Amino acid sequence: MTDETHSRSLQKFLRHRPALLSLSIILLYGATAAVLIFSSVMTMEHTLEPVAAFNLPGFSRQCMPEKRLRDVERSFRRIEVALRRRNPIEQLKSVTAGSLVLASHDPAYLQSRLDQVDGIIDRLYGYEDLDQIVQDSAQDASAILDQLNELESVATELFTLAEGRTEAGRRFRLLLGTDKQGRSILLRAIWSVRVAILVGFVTGMVSVVFGTALGLVAGYFGGWIDHAVNWLYSTFASIPNIVLLIVLSFAFDGGEFDDLLNRWTGNFARKIIGVPVQETLIPVFIAFCATYWIGPCRVIRGEALKLRELEYVQAAQVLGYGRIRILLRHMLPNVAHLMLINFSLLFIGAIKSEVILSYLGLGVKKGPSWGIMIKQSGQEVINGFYWQIGAATVFMLVLVLAFNILSDAVQDILDPRHVG
Amino acid sequence: MIRVTWGKGKSMPESSQSTSGQSELAASPTADVALSVRRLSTSFLSEGRMVNAVNNVSFDVFKGEALGIVGESGCGKSVTARSIMRLLPDHVTRYGSESRVEFNGGNLLDYTERQMRDIRGDQIAMIFQEPMTALNPVFTIGSQLNEALVYHTTLNRIQRKARVLELIDLVEISNPDRRYGEYPHQLSGGMRQRIVIAMALACEPDILIADEPTTALDVTIQSQILRLMNDLRRKSGTAILLITHDLGVIAQMCDRVLVMYAGQIVEISPVDELFHDAAHPYTKALLESIPHSGMRHDGQRLTTIPGLVPGLHDMPIACRFADRCTLRQSMCDAFPPSLKASGHRRQVRCHFPVHSAARPLEKG
Amino acid sequence: MWTYFLRRLLYNVPVFIGILLLVMVALRVRDPVYAYLGKNASADTIEAKREEFGLTRPFILATPMESQFGSFVVQVFTLDFSDDSWDHPGETVGDILGRCIGPSLALSIPALVLTTVISVIISVVAASFRGRLIDQSLVIAAVIGMSVSFLVYIIFGQYWGAYLLPEITGYKPFAINGYTHPSETTWWEYITYHWPHHCLLPVLISVIVAMGYDTRFYRAVMVEESGRDYITTARAKGASQIQVMFGHMLKNAMIPIITRVVITIPFLIMGSFLLETYFTIPGMGRQLILAVEHADFPVVQAFTAVLAAIYILANLLTDVLYALVDPRVRLS
Repeated sequence: MTDETHSRSLQKFLRHRPALLSLSIILLYGATAAVLIFSSVMTMEHTLEPVAAFNLPGFSRQCMPEKRLRDVERSFRRIEVALRRRNPIEQLKSVTAGSLVLASHDPAYLQSRLDQVDGIIDRLYGYEDLDQIVQDSAQDASAILDQLNELESVATELFTLAEGRTEAGRRFRLLLGTDKQGRSILLRAIWSVRVAILVGFVTGMVSVVFGTALGLVAGYFGGWIDHAVNWLYSTFASIPNIVLLIVLSFAFDGGEFDDLLNRWTGNFARKIIGVPVQETLIPVFIAFCATYWIGPCRVIRGEALKLRELEYVQAAQVLGYGRIRILLRHMLPNVAHLMLINFSLLFIGAIKSEVILSYLGLGVKKGPSWGIMIKQSGQEVINGFYWQIGAATVFMLVLVLAFNILSDAVQDILDPRHVG
Repeated sequence: MIRVTWGKGKSMPESSQSTSGQSELAASPTADVALSVRRLSTSFLSEGRMVNAVNNVSFDVFKGEALGIVGESGCGKSVTARSIMRLLPDHVTRYGSESRVEFNGGNLLDYTERQMRDIRGDQIAMIFQEPMTALNPVFTIGSQLNEALVYHTTLNRIQRKARVLELIDLVEISNPDRRYGEYPHQLSGGMRQRIVIAMALACEPDILIADEPTTALDVTIQSQILRLMNDLRRKSGTAILLITHDLGVIAQMCDRVLVMYAGQIVEISPVDELFHDAAHPYTKALLESIPHSGMRHDGQRLTTIPGLVPGLHDMPIACRFADRCTLRQSMCDAFPPSLKASGHRRQVRCHFPVHSAARPLEKG
Repeated sequence: MWTYFLRRLLYNVPVFIGILLLVMVALRVRDPVYAYLGKNASADTIEAKREEFGLTRPFILATPMESQFGSFVVQVFTLDFSDDSWDHPGETVGDILGRCIGPSLALSIPALVLTTVISVIISVVAASFRGRLIDQSLVIAAVIGMSVSFLVYIIFGQYWGAYLLPEITGYKPFAINGYTHPSETTWWEYITYHWPHHCLLPVLISVIVAMGYDTRFYRAVMVEESGRDYITTARAKGASQIQVMFGHMLKNAMIPIITRVVITIPFLIMGSFLLETYFTIPGMGRQLILAVEHADFPVVQAFTAVLAAIYILANLLTDVLYALVDPRVRLS
């Protein structure tokens, strides 16, 4: 490709609005992942601590009355339990409601407030089906709602933000609601970006580089090298993806292998990322790269076979250029666009496979990922709680869609006769 | 001259007797006109804009004649042919409001797809450039020839097979029985093009449009195919509209020629007169650029036409050839020339046609 | 033509052996017995167990019956599934395989057929109206559909089929648990009630998931075919759009379509893992996952070999079909 073709392609790309949008989305995700990896603005701990009552809906929507009653009662219950202990003041200090703590540690004051609300709570529990009453706007509905509001305002008085927290921060965390352990769904979804980008990027890079290398070599040199690569390729390709992933994960799952790996890499993982190998994604990386390299390999090999016959490659050969040089300078640039496209496709494939693997318990072990979020939300959906699965799905959908659009646009621009 | 009719009720045409291989046609207004193109303009919707590929093209095709359309790549000859056949994608193609293609009493540009289907292959047939890819690789020769008969005739299976074998024989391919069951990839390029011609003539169309039929073939085969087409034309009275960029092909095959440039017709002329006494500067320059023997000894350089064909997006308003014309005058840039009669049976689109009396001052 | 088949067969045999090698190596990276018995077993028990299952034998460098690899290869080619499962005492691998194949097939085959038929039709429609609204919306729908995880489809499918639908209509047409073997009931009842009750919903989910990918690919194939010269020739002969699409284009498009169908098979196998797990259908996929979880080594090894064999057979089938469809292959 000449320079002019390059700049024309670039111009066409810049005019392609969906592609630009997709690229910026991808960069946004990438930047988020970078921030998460390299700085401690947010750590995994943030995603593991409870923020509020569990299964709260996002965007500050109101729960059903039954739930509101139970949630607010639970926070009062905690105070009550603390008050009955031998050293109430000490206990009170460690009472939390999500990320909130008690404003006052005065037992007498607290006891009086509790007595105040006890009556209301008992009365509310007396009703058969609060949700139905409110929904039908029956007689007592407004009274019930008033009482609930009163309970909640008392709770708001009693609890306050912990040291170093802000109201804005709390609201941010609650933006998409909480999961069944009260953890912030938004934070979990954001943290999952880290996993996704890591997995996608490493898998994509390694697979594409390895696959391209083998493909070029096989296509260009032909002969026994080609046969060997073909055999290798067919072998890996004949095992269905998932089966290979499962078998490899099985193989890498035990403590033994991790010790081995740790010794080999000199505790590389522990030093750089600060976490032992078995808790990293390295088994996932190995499994993915071993299965995904075949895609680029086949495509690049096909292209290499075509390029080999082109005049300028033959000219270079006749001129006596070394074969390595021909490979690198003449063939590699011409498969660059295929590498890019395959990278996008593999990225997407890796993310989606990670979701499935994590669901099966074989992927990410510690901390949230979209797969784990979806897995945990299975039960919630039956109860009508969509926030966790919705957040995970949307976050993933946007990234995957962006890659799809981007790779389509690149294909259209670089190969106008291409369809699809 | 025998024209066989196969249950379609077609009448025998006035067969044009040939003496020297080129039929003499009376150019008088009463001569039989097979197809009449009037003010054809074809534009395409491309990236939000209309791009005009064929501009105000008008010509007649007489029955049984061989009319050539010659011009360089991109001049609009293929688009003209496909406009007649309505093979362009409907949703992005627009014809001029006054454009007409008159055939058998109707305007083809107004026909529905169903009406066009009846005409294609039956009354007007078309063959294309690439014989290697023109045939469907997964069907036999016999079945593909059969297809045209199925669409347009009421023959039964036995009759069709007989006709197919007859067609294969007609295009001078040996062993029709064997060929019937063979696949395209088992035939050479020249043979495939013969089959394509056979397919086109299967239903004895009035007009055969041939879009660069020999460009992809060896020169030796080319000559054979052209001769075959001419023979068939004389036998069946089918008019041939031959599109090519090769003046040699025109010389061998055609009675009359249209010269196209940048979407317009610039000259219409009988073949002999074109070669001996071209009127339009473009035609003249084309002829002069053909290398001839003796050039080497005289130490002459090849003549070319300087400049480039104007792009579709920046067509000049006036004469489209002016930029590259050696006889250019200021009038050429101001007023677009129209196609005017010039001498006997000729038309030229030029303010200063080369052979007319109105010679301009030699440009200094 | 027969030499062609023979060549394909001979080519695939070393590939299959390669797969077996790969699988066996992968499964021995971590000592299988150790994984099964856990950390609490004594070294002696472990060693005894290893001896019992022949895991102390040399891996390759011995006569076929004495090396692990050799004997396994022999087992596979003689279809010897008599190893006992570790997790299900009393049952051999063969027994387990036998009862799991049926449910897997009950899911995969209908899914394969439905997906292919529906995708081909949709893509033909999209390709023939290329560039217009219907084509664009189909493509957009396909891309969005591809970007949602399989799991989400399963979860919502179950929610819709097993909770919403009963709530709205009062019927419970779809079960999300369990499966009835055809042997436990009459054929008629199986086809009209039991199969749809247990399997129709997962099959539909499988179809929806695969449709995005397949439609885009087939559409691309169709569009590329429709740009070919022979299509123009056919139209110039007077063929109608339908005759062109289904007569000329489809037969030529069969080659990439067939390839694609074969590639879909492993995807189906994967899909069946998830579907079987979620819908508690006792098929091969679910069995394999359970075996992996419980470190049931013989089952994992044998099942993987069987799945790979299925893939290879599917490849061979493709080669056969190519020859049937494309005369250029047949006559070479």
